[in-house]
Amino acid sequence: MAIDVDALVKRFFVNRRSPGLRSSIRHVLRPERHEVTALSGVSFRMTQGEIVGFLGPNGAGKTSLLKCLSGLLHPTEGSARVLGHVPHRREPAFLRQISLVMGQRNSLFWDLPALDAYEVNRTIYQIPRREYTESLDELVELLRLQSLLRKPVRVLSLGERMRCELAGALLHRPRVLFLDEPTLGLDVTAQSAVRSFLADYNRRYGATILLTSHYMADVTALASRVIVIDHGTLRFDGDLTTLTRRYADHRVVKVRLTERAPLGALDVDTVTDDGLTVSLRVSTDDVPAVAARVLAVLPVEDLSIEEPPIDEVVRAVFADG
Amino acid sequence: MAETVASIAALTRAAATTATAYRGRLLAGLLTTFFPLLLMAVWLTVVATSGPPRGWTAPDFISYYAAASLLWHLSGQNVIWQWDEDIRGGDFSIRLLRPVHPFWQYAANDLGQRLVMLGLAAPVFVAATLVLPQLGYHLTAVRLLATVVAVLLAYAVSITMASLVALLGFWSTQTTNLWMLWWGLGSFASGWIAPLEVMPGWLRSTAEWLPFRTTMGFPVELMTGRLSAAETAFGFAVGLGWLALFTVLYLVVWKPGVRRHQAVGG
Repeated sequence: MAIDVDALVKRFFVNRRSPGLRSSIRHVLRPERHEVTALSGVSFRMTQGEIVGFLGPNGAGKTSLLKCLSGLLHPTEGSARVLGHVPHRREPAFLRQISLVMGQRNSLFWDLPALDAYEVNRTIYQIPRREYTESLDELVELLRLQSLLRKPVRVLSLGERMRCELAGALLHRPRVLFLDEPTLGLDVTAQSAVRSFLADYNRRYGATILLTSHYMADVTALASRVIVIDHGTLRFDGDLTTLTRRYADHRVVKVRLTERAPLGALDVDTVTDDGLTVSLRVSTDDVPAVAARVLAVLPVEDLSIEEPPIDEVVRAVFADG
Repeated sequence: MAETVASIAALTRAAATTATAYRGRLLAGLLTTFFPLLLMAVWLTVVATSGPPRGWTAPDFISYYAAASLLWHLSGQNVIWQWDEDIRGGDFSIRLLRPVHPFWQYAANDLGQRLVMLGLAAPVFVAATLVLPQLGYHLTAVRLLATVVAVLLAYAVSITMASLVALLGFWSTQTTNLWMLWWGLGSFASGWIAPLEVMPGWLRSTAEWLPFRTTMGFPVELMTGRLSAAETAFGFAVGLGWLALFTVLYLVVWKPGVRRHQAVGG
């Protein structure tokens, strides 16, 4: 088992005050501390080589869980094991087998070219010279880094820096990879490049990957299994298809017409209607009847029945709670 | 242990490379070498107007503060600024994820910068001792060796002391003001404001037992030939005692401290 999490709880105390000088002075004299529960009894397991997408709104506890699993946070209760190690002990043997990539954090040296940081990583992760050269060559090719390696990190664009970050995080070929918003702020092309790279890395090295992302496309492209978390509580753990079946009570019927036609007779919700292409939101139970009616009354060139977009399904999960 | 030493060497090299990345920053850092000489100017004025305090003449102050200017570049206390910024801003998480204890990462980062500055300041200092007769330190091989060891001890004590205070950031988030208070009080007992010999007797005898003298006054006094063998041995014993105490306290405070770490930011 690569990751084994059992009834994990993480609570914080945070200072809270209203804005303004008066409130600030009052806070100096009498600070207000509030307890926040980031994780509330989360349990799940992951096998080696599995990719799991971690979904939830802001503040749901996704990043806290990644931080607990990478050893940055001590859990308040419960237990976690990653590759047989207790993460918060941060044993060097554990840290050499994992990587946590945070989209908003820079682990490279800001004033130096990425290559300098990679050389330091080679030493501190004890990567043999030949393996380092192989890994670096491979990462440079896959992430198209050749022209970036000798520029100071501070002059790179966000997307370029993220690609360099990824390379730095993978030089030691971690067996477990935690990715927190790895495509945050990247343009569509860069997002796609990172996604295909991660899928390839998983295939080549059998790495276990746990990722959070606000971009649903990241999750659907990489993970067959998703964990949905809200207010620190696990709401769903399973494959994407099951998630859709359980929480989506409707399907999207897409119709391409040969000519414009009135839709009023169908008596269903229209999601989009641009004249010749129409999307209809139809209750799952009504799909056969509506499809038959569409074919009977409209000049149909093509008709397809699709599951609703995954982000809509996830919204339904949160609304359900 | 060998892995840690190799990691420290690599991180030190990277820090030295960073220190040389900007010529302007390098020059500005080098110019701070003259800060101790400002205090020297004050004391030279005192000598000129009121006569030598406790027998300290102008050449005594010149040789003392010239040596102090070199020590200025070998203080590890600056690590606290990076600790503080990282804990408050969340970059401490990056340090925790590396398989090297953060203490060594901050120490290596500081050491790399110090070595670059020292590499530039030391030749100037040596040249000055050859040109200016007031800077005749008359170092014997034994005293030179003792001074080098005292300088290393000064660095070790200052960096451990500053890192220990930095750990309080796990509780109070912001530690630099606390450090400024500590350092400000300590500057009277370190030999920075004035050589301890010209301080009141009660302060001098108290300062000899405090850690601050180890970080500056002791190596400078040793270099300028003001200490007997017994006084030298006492100075080393006090410094090593504080180093041991700070190390133990650091290890004791680290564990509960890092448990409280909130790893702020995404």
